[in-house]
Amino acid sequence: MSKYSDDPAWSDIVPLPQDDGGPNPLAAIAYKDEYSEAMSYLRAVMAENEMSERVLGLTEHIISMNPAHYTVWLYRAKCLFTLSSDLKAEIAWLNPTALKHLKNYQIWHHRQTIIEKLDSADGEVTFISSMLEADSKNYHVWSYRQWLVRRFDLWHEGELEAVEGMLKEDVRNNSAWNHRWFVVFGNEKMEGVDDGVLEREMDYAKAAIYMTPQNQSPWNYLRGLLRYAKLPASTLKEFALEFASPEKPDEVHSSHALDLLADIYAEEENKKEAEKALDLLAKRFDPIRANYWNYRKSLLELPAAAS
Amino acid sequence: MSLVSGPGRGGITDDRLPHELRLFVDKHVCYIQSLDTRKDELEYWLTEHLRLSGLYWGLTALHLLGRPDGLPRNEVLDFVMSCMHDNGGFGAAPGHDAHMLYTISAVQILATLDAFGELEERVGGGRQKIGQYIASLQDTTTGTFAGDEWGETDTRFLYGALNALSLLGLLDLVNINQAVEHIQECANFDGGYGTSPGAESHAGQIFTCVAALSIAGRLDLVDRDKLGGWLSERQLKNGGLNGRPEKKEDVCYSWWVASSLAMIGRLHWIDAEKLTKFILNCQDPELGGFADRPGNMVDVFHTVFGIAGLSLVKYAGLVEVDPVYCMPLAVTKRALGKLK
Repeated sequence: MSKYSDDPAWSDIVPLPQDDGGPNPLAAIAYKDEYSEAMSYLRAVMAENEMSERVLGLTEHIISMNPAHYTVWLYRAKCLFTLSSDLKAEIAWLNPTALKHLKNYQIWHHRQTIIEKLDSADGEVTFISSMLEADSKNYHVWSYRQWLVRRFDLWHEGELEAVEGMLKEDVRNNSAWNHRWFVVFGNEKMEGVDDGVLEREMDYAKAAIYMTPQNQSPWNYLRGLLRYAKLPASTLKEFALEFASPEKPDEVHSSHALDLLADIYAEEENKKEAEKALDLLAKRFDPIRANYWNYRKSLLELPAAAS
Repeated sequence: MSLVSGPGRGGITDDRLPHELRLFVDKHVCYIQSLDTRKDELEYWLTEHLRLSGLYWGLTALHLLGRPDGLPRNEVLDFVMSCMHDNGGFGAAPGHDAHMLYTISAVQILATLDAFGELEERVGGGRQKIGQYIASLQDTTTGTFAGDEWGETDTRFLYGALNALSLLGLLDLVNINQAVEHIQECANFDGGYGTSPGAESHAGQIFTCVAALSIAGRLDLVDRDKLGGWLSERQLKNGGLNGRPEKKEDVCYSWWVASSLAMIGRLHWIDAEKLTKFILNCQDPELGGFADRPGNMVDVFHTVFGIAGLSLVKYAGLVEVDPVYCMPLAVTKRALGKLK
């Protein structure tokens, strides 16, 4: 019946039940009993700071029931390092565990600790890909991927290609767009990028916009490129006009194009057209943010509006 | 305070809505008060690793609802103190390791209860001890903060450190300039901030970065128009807010997005009326509590951030919330005022 109290391997341990100052109410459901028993053995071994194989088994059992319990993870890591356990085996166990608990967050720090110690990224990118297949915008997975790229200098090890594959799957995946920026511009050891790269990135974002004109991510990316290269907004005037014009309000294919055009006209000190674009946004294409667009309009009155 | 979800579901998904557009204060108070009585549910125990934060969420919600005495003060204080470790940090519950997140929750609860005096009575030099624990987690090469001795870093921890240290009056224990520099490194090409340099912009992380800059007195570093533009773009047609482009709306972003906008003076860039409707549609009018979106199970996390969001947009009858701390403004004024 009981996993631990009937097991001779645990007969030397006196379990420490939860002390919450009242009668223990954990009796109704068997699963609850299982969790509460395992926790009472964990409290007992932690009180003695026991580091052993059976403790690893116990933590694995608790994690399978409650992977968000951060103290269990930390104790497990301590135990693994004290026993000089096989860390590759740990990773092999972590893979299915992570896939089973997609939203779990503690597991990523544990993985990072283990990989740091292993000092090898072998197989990690493959594993990350399988995680992203299950949840393509998982913030923890993307953060972990960035850590891995930096830690093992993987900037040119297929990251760009991987991100392109993901954007091909879903061109609206903002996490993938962010990772693209990270791969292209994020290497602190790199001194700027050359014009060819800039042009390639412009073309890439534009191609995505042709596919999905109302997609925020590539527009943000394009604007980021302008800022990075310190180029005026008017660089994109012809491109933006393909999707919208204040003169043709019934043929607007992208509110983001109108937004950009408003900046371009402001830059050109063409207040009238800029106002038209912003009015269209405030009244017709994005009225929920009318105050924002009206604020942008008020900036046109300032002498520094064009800068 | 437990993190058990349910029992009710938020919202009414059919057309019965219009007459329901009000806040069911008494129901929410009862819901929060009932959370700690649900020890016969497995989820109560499976969420033990969050309990101290759960208590902060529940207590703050009650204060914002104008029911500061909704939980027994002494029992709350006893529980908080039972989570304190010798090193000055707090775990989520007795027997859980000390961690930055729960240490912040503990300090926020102590400040809300005006209990720093009692902290000193129970643990001599307690205030200083907590401050030292938090300060020990600053990474002196990058300026950011770790969550615990294992070194995971995140702008959440950085914000939490500045939040708690400012309430304790101990900001001088850490290198503020270096922390500020780190936040600037987390600024992204789209105007937002992420969890670390290069990480995707995320409304929750933007809140932590902007609030930390606010505590450091460095909001001048924020490009308010650009960030405000990105944040206001988070509002969807149904009035709710999402946390990143192309993601679903969620009540908790009513707080992360709106508080960030409030801190940079751009809250009026979103449609407050539509947001109010969205938040109110996420409450369970019968059993109390808020869900992430209509139709889902309620929980205390979404309850506090729903109520705090309503307070930000000045929903009638609610106590005013401080957008930097997610605590009643009167409380932070008192705590910070005492230090002057």
